[in-house]
Amino acid sequence: MGIYLWRRVVVLVPTAWLVLSLIFLLSRGLGAAPPLPSLEADAIGLTDPTSQRRATEQRMRHRYGLDAPLFYITLERSYLNPNAARRWQWHGTANQYHSWVKQLSRGDFGFSYRDSKPVTSVLLDSLRHTLPLTVGAAVLATTLALALGVFTRPRWQAALRSILSLLDILPLFVVALLLLLLLANPDVLAWFPAYGEGRIATEAVWWQQLGTYLYYLALPLACLVLVTTPGLALQLDAALQHELGQAYATTARAKGLSTSRVQQKHALRNAWLPFLTVLAELLPALVAGTVVVETVFARPGMGRALAEAAAARDFPVLLAGVLLLATIRLAAYILTDWLYQLADPRLRPAS
Amino acid sequence: MTRARRWGAGLALTWLLLLLAVALTVPYLPLAFSPDTVDLTNIAMPPQVSQFSHPGHLLGTDPYGRDVLTALLYGTRTALLVSLPAALLAALAGISSGSSAGFWGNSGLRVKTGWLVAAGAAVLFTLAALPCYWGSYRMLYLLAIPTGFFMVGGILLQVKRLSAPVPIPLDSLLQACITLVSSIPRLVLVLALAAVVEPSLPTLVLVLALSSWVGTARLVRAEVARVRQLPYLEAARAAGIPELRLLVRHVLPNALRPVKTSFPLSIAGLIGLETTLSFLGVGLPPEVPSWGRTLALVRLTPTAWWLVVFPVLLILLTTLALQQLASRPRG
Amino acid sequence: MIRLFTSLFLLVVFAEASSCSSSPASRELPLRVRWIRDPETLDPLTQPNENARQGVNLLYQSLLTVDYEQQRFVPLLAESMPSVRHQGARTLITYRLRDSARWDDGQPVLARDVEFTLKVMNCPDLPNEEVRAQFGFITALQPDPLDSRRFTLVCEGAAPELVLASGDFPILPAHYLDPQNKLGAVPLAALQQDSLALRHYPDVAPFVQRYKAAQIGQHPDALPGSGPYRLASWKTGQQLEFRRKPRWWGQALQQTAPQLQARPEQIEFHVIPDDATALLAMRRADVDLYPRMPAREFGRLQADSARHPELSFYTAPSYDMTVAGFNTRSSLLAHRLTRQAISHLFDVPQLIQATQQGHAYRSVGLINPENKAFYNDSLRPFAFDPTEASRLLVRAGWQRTATGWERQRPGQSPQRLALRLSYRAGEPTYEAIGLQLRAAAAQLGIPITLHPTESSVLSGRLRAGEYDLYLRSMTGNPFVYNFAPILHTESIGSGNFTRFGTPDSDRLIKSITTEQNPQRKARLLRRLQALLQAECPLTVLYFNRYQIVAASRLANLQISGLPPGYNVMAITSRPDDSH
Repeated sequence: MGIYLWRRVVVLVPTAWLVLSLIFLLSRGLGAAPPLPSLEADAIGLTDPTSQRRATEQRMRHRYGLDAPLFYITLERSYLNPNAARRWQWHGTANQYHSWVKQLSRGDFGFSYRDSKPVTSVLLDSLRHTLPLTVGAAVLATTLALALGVFTRPRWQAALRSILSLLDILPLFVVALLLLLLLANPDVLAWFPAYGEGRIATEAVWWQQLGTYLYYLALPLACLVLVTTPGLALQLDAALQHELGQAYATTARAKGLSTSRVQQKHALRNAWLPFLTVLAELLPALVAGTVVVETVFARPGMGRALAEAAAARDFPVLLAGVLLLATIRLAAYILTDWLYQLADPRLRPAS
Repeated sequence: MTRARRWGAGLALTWLLLLLAVALTVPYLPLAFSPDTVDLTNIAMPPQVSQFSHPGHLLGTDPYGRDVLTALLYGTRTALLVSLPAALLAALAGISSGSSAGFWGNSGLRVKTGWLVAAGAAVLFTLAALPCYWGSYRMLYLLAIPTGFFMVGGILLQVKRLSAPVPIPLDSLLQACITLVSSIPRLVLVLALAAVVEPSLPTLVLVLALSSWVGTARLVRAEVARVRQLPYLEAARAAGIPELRLLVRHVLPNALRPVKTSFPLSIAGLIGLETTLSFLGVGLPPEVPSWGRTLALVRLTPTAWWLVVFPVLLILLTTLALQQLASRPRG
Repeated sequence: MIRLFTSLFLLVVFAEASSCSSSPASRELPLRVRWIRDPETLDPLTQPNENARQGVNLLYQSLLTVDYEQQRFVPLLAESMPSVRHQGARTLITYRLRDSARWDDGQPVLARDVEFTLKVMNCPDLPNEEVRAQFGFITALQPDPLDSRRFTLVCEGAAPELVLASGDFPILPAHYLDPQNKLGAVPLAALQQDSLALRHYPDVAPFVQRYKAAQIGQHPDALPGSGPYRLASWKTGQQLEFRRKPRWWGQALQQTAPQLQARPEQIEFHVIPDDATALLAMRRADVDLYPRMPAREFGRLQADSARHPELSFYTAPSYDMTVAGFNTRSSLLAHRLTRQAISHLFDVPQLIQATQQGHAYRSVGLINPENKAFYNDSLRPFAFDPTEASRLLVRAGWQRTATGWERQRPGQSPQRLALRLSYRAGEPTYEAIGLQLRAAAAQLGIPITLHPTESSVLSGRLRAGEYDLYLRSMTGNPFVYNFAPILHTESIGSGNFTRFGTPDSDRLIKSITTEQNPQRKARLLRRLQALLQAECPLTVLYFNRYQIVAASRLANLQISGLPPGYNVMAITSRPDDSH
């Protein structure tokens, strides 16, 4: 068991490192100059001696460590003869990649290009905002899917299934837009706040604070739940149908058990297994969902941080964010694997 | 197959064929407006009836004064041009990687060490030398690299130790790649990739394909691994059919059944992803008409229901039709 | 399942009820303003965006400030406008600080603080590159030996705008950031030369470390400012809350110096990036002030204003202009007649109608037409005229062929006229302009592709000249006419994106910056406008108007055309009559 997991990790780590390095090199190499904040000459300024502009830029690049060569060896044009063919040049350890790896090995992801905050604090901060949303959505969606799958009367099932499949098709941003335009719109119904997390008065009692928080969380949460539940419910339904078709279910029914009892007592226990895989995918999928939801509802969080970092080419944040998501996902995988093997001894690899 | 199901399948097929026909013929259709026309006097107009004397905007206009009907019809073309090649590419990559990993596993494919070393050398050489001298000696390189590869390989094989075959751990490699790609949510992966390369039609197709080959690869790998163990293959192997031929002629035809189901679904998923990207403003350039872009414009005019209803209807119908198509073989 | 839904419903009702009860019956309603983005940092050295500038101005103060209503500079920390002497190529500007000016901890604001601030602005390795370049013209500070509040700034150059610029940076508390006066021994000139300071003055590096470690950009509350407000809370990407200090030094002077007023007790800036969401928030009265609302939303809301008695609508002619620029060094656009031809393809009146609801106004060039003295009214802006455009193209050497426009070049293959238009992504106005130009050009047979680009990437490309055409907005001001950063040949590769420049234009631009006499200046500026229209390195499509929506209970917004368009510290609240 342990060895099996370790083998997976051992293969993964170098692959991950390779891919991360590639993304790093590509992002710094192709994007030419990573963004330098506030170097826009949009205003006809009071004074700005033009001769200083280039020096300014050079200083900024130096502060961000971008004036060093990209890698141990790079293609360089000869200074003496710019038209000659480019040649490879060895730079030693004084390069961006080396310092990046060194930083990374210390657990330091560097500073955001945009606001010069440490990347770790940016990500932790946004996680704090996103986790209640995603975890809440995951729990609600799972409960709802279970409730729908198990407790629905058979004659409602066909209708329910078509409604769910229809919901399943709608892209998340459409659902979010519709909810926003229908339920937080003074022209239609202004039941919910349109944006943000609400202002929590510090003097309020805890349940008031919680109330405000939930009130503001309601619409974004509803979006995620509405979008994820159908998929879950349909998966569970398919698994249940499959189990009900098995011989043991037929036997149970032949012994006189009612269909719903067979479903709840026997089929569900087995259908739970494939459902587990779906659940492992759920949390990361929800994080992707927050990209849309947090943009539409102007909530801070992981999704918006990532989307903004991608648009602004804030690569330190983007890389670290992707790394964090990947780690969470991998942890979820390994956990599911382990649960799987715990639940079904047949799947344990021969030791 | 029940009658309703057959009807559903027929309808779905008709709808998809209609879309295909529209995509192919849209430049020749007698439309009142071209996709380039910008009618600044009619901005965000609700649908209006066409009169004989002057053509109206049947489905209204968007906030830039473009005809929604025209945009949607041309958008069909874009949807097909993006999602179909991306889905095909992804399927191709998924099938080839999944089937070879499933067929050969970690030890089935053996390559002589000499060739491996030569290939590594060739790659290194290409990487190191090409960017410097590509311009001047282009033809020479095209000849020199393959020749060099075979010569070096041939010489190395004479060394005894290097002529021993080593197994290539195809399966482990693929598994690692799959875990890696699927460990990042698709939307986030595409966003990150789009930050590195500027989206245009070909790059968008590539990025989308890169993010969605995993599902097919996983399916095919599992299926091939199952089929490989079936008795008829033992027989074929015993008959001395070469490995590659065995894979292509005898394993794949049986292993591709799940792909037939997943392919329409992946197209549907890609259409959804493309619309989401356009909504977030990361997708195609704005002059390319696309359903997602038309839909995204509702943010500029929150009251323009016609910008929501018609594209959503199109996306909904198309996805439904594709799902119907996917569920047909099973029924 | 029904049970589940009822409980969900209950949850929502409960939440709604509790949120109503949770808003406390407060003393004075806070002023809630919409911001489009997070300021990202409130470090007075950085100020990367307009919101950061606005926030910093609540916490710290400069020597001079702008009077929004009069649109002129007035003294803030300084006692009065400075006295100016010219000494060869240098300008000596003498200030005296107000006697009552105090830091939060009661310490007086002294000349020493100004000197310290100038040094911090030039310290190596701090995020001060921008201010460093901007205020590099101040080369020394001469303190008055007798008066610790009086000092003289030694400035390179003799341009009149140096005087205003010399008082335009926030002052930091020296006694707090550098209690041992370590920077006191380091001359400003040494700091202005990067490596020198670090090598010869060992005290600089530890100071830089300490300044960085304090993270003033994120925790400005750690630093006593002289401004009337302090930062009460900051939820990144969501909300910033400023509270007025119970006692601050300017309170006593408010009657005589209106620039020192600080009316709102509490100011909240709500960060709402999405325009549609912000509009909903405004209509739900979740925010009180929506500055610079997009014209379309503004128009729709105003047309419906009978239903919104709780909202007031303001507009002001601004100095923001929307500009199309040409890469004059690209071989396609090298001929001025080609550039003029493209300028004739912008249907500006229609665009103003469609994107700005008719609120913007045209101009022949970079001077605001409201400025009657300097505006060249004998010129006419480019009219939308495709036939004229094709005539100009022919004159520029282009030939209409079946596939488009081509030009024969000696010894080379014929050149085809096809252009790329770059602009900032996610800006609907530019998109509308781009699509209109593209449609008009397509009619004429010129293919134009649109390249919306993320802003920092875009500015890199513009600086490097990797574009044909661009759209962007530029902000002018009523104080200074220095076009060297955007049009002088020296600025090619930095601010002069069009890469334009002739000896004649260079000379003209330089002489405008140094001209003191208003009449002569007006003549020169008129000449420049004519020259720019003929050469056409850029075309000003229109000047925008600021559209501001505020809750009707707000008064004294001091709406003006200077960013941010209102004076947040002046706003008062009418007695709330709705409850």
